[in-house]
Amino acid sequence: MPLTTSEPAAASGKLKRFLGQLIWAAVAVVAAFSLGAMAVNRGEHINSAWLVLAAVCTYMIGFRFYARFIAARVMALDNQRATPAERLENGHDFEPTNKWILFGHHFAAIAGPGPLVGPVLAAQFGYLPGTLWIIIGAVVGGAVQDFVILFASMRRDGKSLGKMAREEIGKLGGFVALLTVLLIMIILLAVVALVVVNALAGSPWGTFTIAATMPIALFMGWYLRYRRPGKVLECSAIGFVLVLAAIFAGQWVAQSHTWAPVFTLSAVALAFAITLYGFLASALPVWLLLAPRDYLSTFVKLGVIFLLAAGIVFVRPELELPAFTRFTDGNGPIFAGKIFPFCFITIACGAISGFHSLISSGTTPKMITKEWHAWPVGYGAMLLESLVAVMAMIAACVMHPGVYFAVNSPAGIVGGTPAAAVATISSWGFPVSVAEMQQLAHTVGEQTLFYRTGGAPSLALGMAHIFAHSGGGRAVIGFWYHFAIMFEALFILTVIDAGTRVGRFMLQDVLGHVHPALGRTSWMPGVLMTSGAVVVAWGYFLYQGVRDPLGGINSLWPLFGIANQLLATIALCVATTILIKMHRARYIWITGLPLLWLVTVTFTAAWQKIFSPMPRIGFLAQARQLQATLGSGARIAETQALIFNARLDAVVCGVFMILVAIILVDSLRIWAGIFAGSRTSQVLEAPFVLSRLSTEEA
Amino acid sequence: MTRLRMFRSLMLALLRELADEAAYQRHLAAKDCAHSPDEWRKFSDERLRAKYFRPKCC
Repeated sequence: MPLTTSEPAAASGKLKRFLGQLIWAAVAVVAAFSLGAMAVNRGEHINSAWLVLAAVCTYMIGFRFYARFIAARVMALDNQRATPAERLENGHDFEPTNKWILFGHHFAAIAGPGPLVGPVLAAQFGYLPGTLWIIIGAVVGGAVQDFVILFASMRRDGKSLGKMAREEIGKLGGFVALLTVLLIMIILLAVVALVVVNALAGSPWGTFTIAATMPIALFMGWYLRYRRPGKVLECSAIGFVLVLAAIFAGQWVAQSHTWAPVFTLSAVALAFAITLYGFLASALPVWLLLAPRDYLSTFVKLGVIFLLAAGIVFVRPELELPAFTRFTDGNGPIFAGKIFPFCFITIACGAISGFHSLISSGTTPKMITKEWHAWPVGYGAMLLESLVAVMAMIAACVMHPGVYFAVNSPAGIVGGTPAAAVATISSWGFPVSVAEMQQLAHTVGEQTLFYRTGGAPSLALGMAHIFAHSGGGRAVIGFWYHFAIMFEALFILTVIDAGTRVGRFMLQDVLGHVHPALGRTSWMPGVLMTSGAVVVAWGYFLYQGVRDPLGGINSLWPLFGIANQLLATIALCVATTILIKMHRARYIWITGLPLLWLVTVTFTAAWQKIFSPMPRIGFLAQARQLQATLGSGARIAETQALIFNARLDAVVCGVFMILVAIILVDSLRIWAGIFAGSRTSQVLEAPFVLSRLSTEEA
Repeated sequence: MTRLRMFRSLMLALLRELADEAAYQRHLAAKDCAHSPDEWRKFSDERLRAKYFRPKCC
């Protein structure tokens, strides 16, 4: 029988489908094999390529099948439906944007210091638990959260998470969301400031470089405002060259007998300096300091992430840290607590971050051209963020374990002298010597690398190691170390100044109801007062962290992790409510399972942080232990302050638990009402309008 | 070669978007006015006010 013209085309289509299935099957096999190679390897060094391969292949499978299933079956994305960007296009917020540009824009907005610092700290358990959670958590949790919230906001004219919480769950939900964001910001700002303080304390090179970024930012602000208005890229390029020059000059400063002491600051002095900086950045005109630094920081951030990825692919370093360390038992020197729940709390943003839901319901939904673009933008960008977290884990694990623990352990745990520290760390089975640490410190241009808690110095060491092996060798390792420190500090400071400003606005918003003048952003006394209040709030926690004999990170990072996961819990409650109202209850597990997991993790971690009888974990036990030492008469005022701080941390943790409980109970009430039929499940989406943009145009 | 050019132009467009330069061009087009230092300052003030009302991600 003769072939019709459509038969060869059908045969070719079948062949293409078969080849496609074959390729995806191969990707799945590689993902499974790489994960297996990572998981079963014991006693030998593993190459970082396995981690990258496992991550990338798992992401590909998750993106192609799981996310596509969610997009098509659960959300029923529809390119015929006009998005808010098309319907409400105004040349400002609402603007149809090319999907890859929006992908980059969204990724730049969600990529913060969390996915870099969290994995470095979690590496104390070994590379395996953290890496597995980063990969799996992102595919089934973090990316799903970002995607569903982006979809929900896009269908609601770009409404914020708070507004959606208020409309979908109730007024209480909206208020809790606002309060949570404010509380998280205070803890977040304190903890990231502590990371910078610990990275710069006693480091004239690093301190000079970061100090130099202030006048550079001011110059950029002036240049952009008056010299070459509108030339942001040009201005940022000049700023970048000046920052590079500052890194080179920093080496000279560190070697100068005159200038080195000027820039050698204690942790307390640096804490005050950063607090003052936060105040100034919040109160000064935004174009002068904040905005130019933010532009520069965004470009440097993207550039360094790209460089790190290229470096890891090129060098493919061996991981020196084992798959598991002895600290899975909960006695880790960096932070105390067992893998469950503390690994998940510590990794935070690399796997699932509540803060992303603010971005997914902020600018991004207003710029999506076609509904299906939410798939790569919402889900895909989180996968890339997760890959950044895997790279941070690799950077931490390429160091010798002894060096890693010497850098990251506080004096209160390993001993107050280098000799005591190396003896303690070596006794754990991670040999390291004072000479080795001195040599390393000398190579990177630091006076010492002991007790540099917070994750930033060890991440910088790992990055410098990878960059130096890509070219230049040991001769340039000092430059790369300080380049990495500059990169981390630069965008952490951007988070601090922008965060303080946002906190100020939130406070002004609330206080404006009490006294209208306080709500006016143009009334200087109100601006100064509210800026001061926000700075004092996070500055207090920062000071507490700096004075903490256990290094501060032990207390503050878990608090931040709990707070961040709490925000994710709120986002997933909103997402689940929306799915139920959309009559997609049979798919409730998509957001319900990550929600259940997060509630379990957050509650367990918060409970342990408050009530654990181990003083290094439980705040109340720590306060009791300190109380017992009060009778000895030594350092009474200091000990009383530590007792107060431990109790304050317990209260903050308790407040977080109560907030989770409120939002959960409120959501459960709504869900039960819908299932029982006593409540209407009204979908609050914007009405359907046929898109006039063709797919090609998009 | 064409793909490389496409990639380069995409990257440049992304940088312009991140730098708010693309948004400024849209602003000029929407207002049907030409670039001037005052117009940039007006645009920048509005843009930055909105931008820093939102928290930055961690």
